[in-house]
Amino acid sequence: MSLILGIDLGTTNSLAAYMTPAGPVVVRDASGNALVPSVVAFGEGGVTVGAAARAHAVENPLATIYSVKRLMGKGLADVGGDLKYLAYPVVAGRGGMACVKVAGREITPQELSAAVLREVKARSEAAIGAEIRQAVITVPAYFDDSQRQATRDAGRIAGLEVRRIVNEPTAAALAYGLGRKGDSTIAVYDLGGGTFDISILRISGGVFQVLATDGDTHLGGDDLDMELIELIASEIRDRLGRDMAFPPATRQAMRNFAEAAKIRLSSQDQARIEIDLGAAGRLERTITREEFEARAAKWVDHTIEHCRSALAGAGLTADRIDQVVMVGGCTRIPLVSRRVGEFFARVPYTAINPDEVVAMGAAVQAGILAGVQRDTLLLDVIPLSLGIETLGGAMGKLIMRNSTVPCQASETFTTYAAGQTSVDIHVLQGERELARDCRSLGRFQLRGIPPMPAGAPRISVTFLIDANGILNVSARELRSGREAGVQITPAHGLTSGEVDAMVKESYTHAIADLTEHRLIDLRNEAGRILAAIDKAVAEVGAVMSPAQRAAMDEAVGDLKAKMEGGDPDALYAAMKAANEAAMPLTQMQMDQVLQKTVMGRKIDEV
Amino acid sequence: MSELEKTTVPSKCSRCDRPMAEVPVCDYCHWLNPAAAGADYFTLLGLPRQFDLDEEWIRGKFLSVSRYTHPDFHATDNPQAQEMALRVSAAINDAYRTLRDPANRAAYLLELLGGKSSAEDRSIPDGFLATMMMMQEEIADARAVGDKSELDRLRDVLATQRDGLMRRIAGLFGEYQEAVACQAIGTDLLNEIRKQLNAVSYVKKLLSQTIAQPAAG
Repeated sequence: MSLILGIDLGTTNSLAAYMTPAGPVVVRDASGNALVPSVVAFGEGGVTVGAAARAHAVENPLATIYSVKRLMGKGLADVGGDLKYLAYPVVAGRGGMACVKVAGREITPQELSAAVLREVKARSEAAIGAEIRQAVITVPAYFDDSQRQATRDAGRIAGLEVRRIVNEPTAAALAYGLGRKGDSTIAVYDLGGGTFDISILRISGGVFQVLATDGDTHLGGDDLDMELIELIASEIRDRLGRDMAFPPATRQAMRNFAEAAKIRLSSQDQARIEIDLGAAGRLERTITREEFEARAAKWVDHTIEHCRSALAGAGLTADRIDQVVMVGGCTRIPLVSRRVGEFFARVPYTAINPDEVVAMGAAVQAGILAGVQRDTLLLDVIPLSLGIETLGGAMGKLIMRNSTVPCQASETFTTYAAGQTSVDIHVLQGERELARDCRSLGRFQLRGIPPMPAGAPRISVTFLIDANGILNVSARELRSGREAGVQITPAHGLTSGEVDAMVKESYTHAIADLTEHRLIDLRNEAGRILAAIDKAVAEVGAVMSPAQRAAMDEAVGDLKAKMEGGDPDALYAAMKAANEAAMPLTQMQMDQVLQKTVMGRKIDEV
Repeated sequence: MSELEKTTVPSKCSRCDRPMAEVPVCDYCHWLNPAAAGADYFTLLGLPRQFDLDEEWIRGKFLSVSRYTHPDFHATDNPQAQEMALRVSAAINDAYRTLRDPANRAAYLLELLGGKSSAEDRSIPDGFLATMMMMQEEIADARAVGDKSELDRLRDVLATQRDGLMRRIAGLFGEYQEAVACQAIGTDLLNEIRKQLNAVSYVKKLLSQTIAQPAAG
């Protein structure tokens, strides 16, 4: 029997686990590391994934792609709030789908996630010593249909048959509850890098029944990092001017500092930050835990509101919860466990590694699907109501949220004009009253309706949500008994043909494209640097010593020569050298009244 | 066997030929019964066709049936069996969702017994409408000024009203069962249950209005 891998595809980190007779085992590298940073870097050496890619983030912010999970299955219009977390450009792809622009090429979040999955797969194959073709991949419980489909497509692109999409808190519950006897009701509080989920489950006799789930796919550790980034940024602006715009490399550096400080503040009372501001000196700052908690409190309060709502959905009060299982790196933050403990009036359970428990649960689900874990069953729910747009733009709910999956609903449609052979149905997901306030999953076209007078055809459409929480639509014309063809146009997803094409597309092709695009981009940047230096020489050239001037002239000459060549690495190095040689000019400019505008432009052009 | 206990359990499993106790799946070989997806909800969960059912009992039946019908249990079977598991399991989940809620269970049983649907008979008990109109005004007033404690009070009043109606419905189903047992005609009782259930829907609608909704977002 072939092994099914359990994969936690996270916003920040990904990892895998697999089922053994002794229980789930996490895949680790030689040094014991389980986590693969969910980062993909596009560089001269090709595509790198994981820790190596992450190391490039500061020097190459525009081509180091992280937190791509925030973009999965979304339109550009839906990700507005998320863009502030991302140093790389996000553009509208086909149909408005959010795509990443790297070196002049548009890459879908599905392809980027596939690169991470491929890395996780390769590491697992090396550790297990067998080829892996099937996987169970986890998603936040609050992911909608498009986001689940996008995750499944990412798996297919990575060469994996995705046997199940399983909800992260549910997976955590499986890992926690495996082998435990008795009947208990638990809450799983899952605060990850970019998403928050709370699920209430009842576990009895090996059956894990999800009673309710709630959450926010725009709330996670990134938001806490952002609070610290804003704190640092406002102090830099105090020094360098209010209108200071931070170029990508600086934003990336601040992001790293903020994340490190956040982690440090989980175990220490304070964290020290030192940032080199170039000519403006250094920013040295000690952030205390109180300061951090004051800024983090509103986010933690949001999660508590979701806990309240999940309890209401389950029809329970907090005192009915026997155990609160903490999942996700952010639950290490003392403020989080304190507030959660207060709300549920019990000490949260933290005995399982919060980074690894989801992958372990995915492995348990893989064991269930492989038929080796026959005494365990998971009954999960759909997190958001599913419905269709009705006349007047209202949302007509067909399947209520927190319904156990699989589940189905049928609705009968008819035609409005004589001889009409197709009907459009707009499928929505969400809790709001109006269609425009809900997520659009796409438009379904019923075709092949036999021509009849208006209102005569009776087309019965069945909406079936499978155990993955993914929608399947089938239709039948009742009068003629004819099966109506259903064409699905995903709102922000890939068609199956597009996925197939991506599976086939070789990566080498993409890399060749990439080198070419990188050269073009670097030449453009180099041109801007040269122009900036010319301008600086004209304005403040007199401040340079003859030696400095000679060194700069030499660097500029070298840069011009490399711009003609075809080696992006050499060009990049020459750009850096020219910039450094021109430093005395830039410093002078900054000291003058013009400092902020020139500084902004200078860093922009690096 | 009275009419209320009538089920459509096939006598034997179509694969292993052993007698079947439950409708959806064979106890011995876990072969799914193709007729299950079309069976009524009581039959699907192996419950007697009656209103008075303990919620934990319904849940226990649901879990034990789900164990061998869920698609995950059939994940290594052939595609046809997997497809059937999906359909049967979806039907079982629908059944549980309907039967565990007393008002939904009453409405479902009523139609199964030949009673009228809410679309066919919209009548409500005498004097009920006036009370509800009054309550509705009070809710609107409390919402307008954001009086949370008044909304809480109204919610309690409505919940008490709903519970009273449900007790009356339980009593009527009991009477109906007795009437059928003595070969009497129970149509009037079914009509009365419909009336009471219409009142329950009304109360539930008002109850949802007492839960403060965020202005936007």
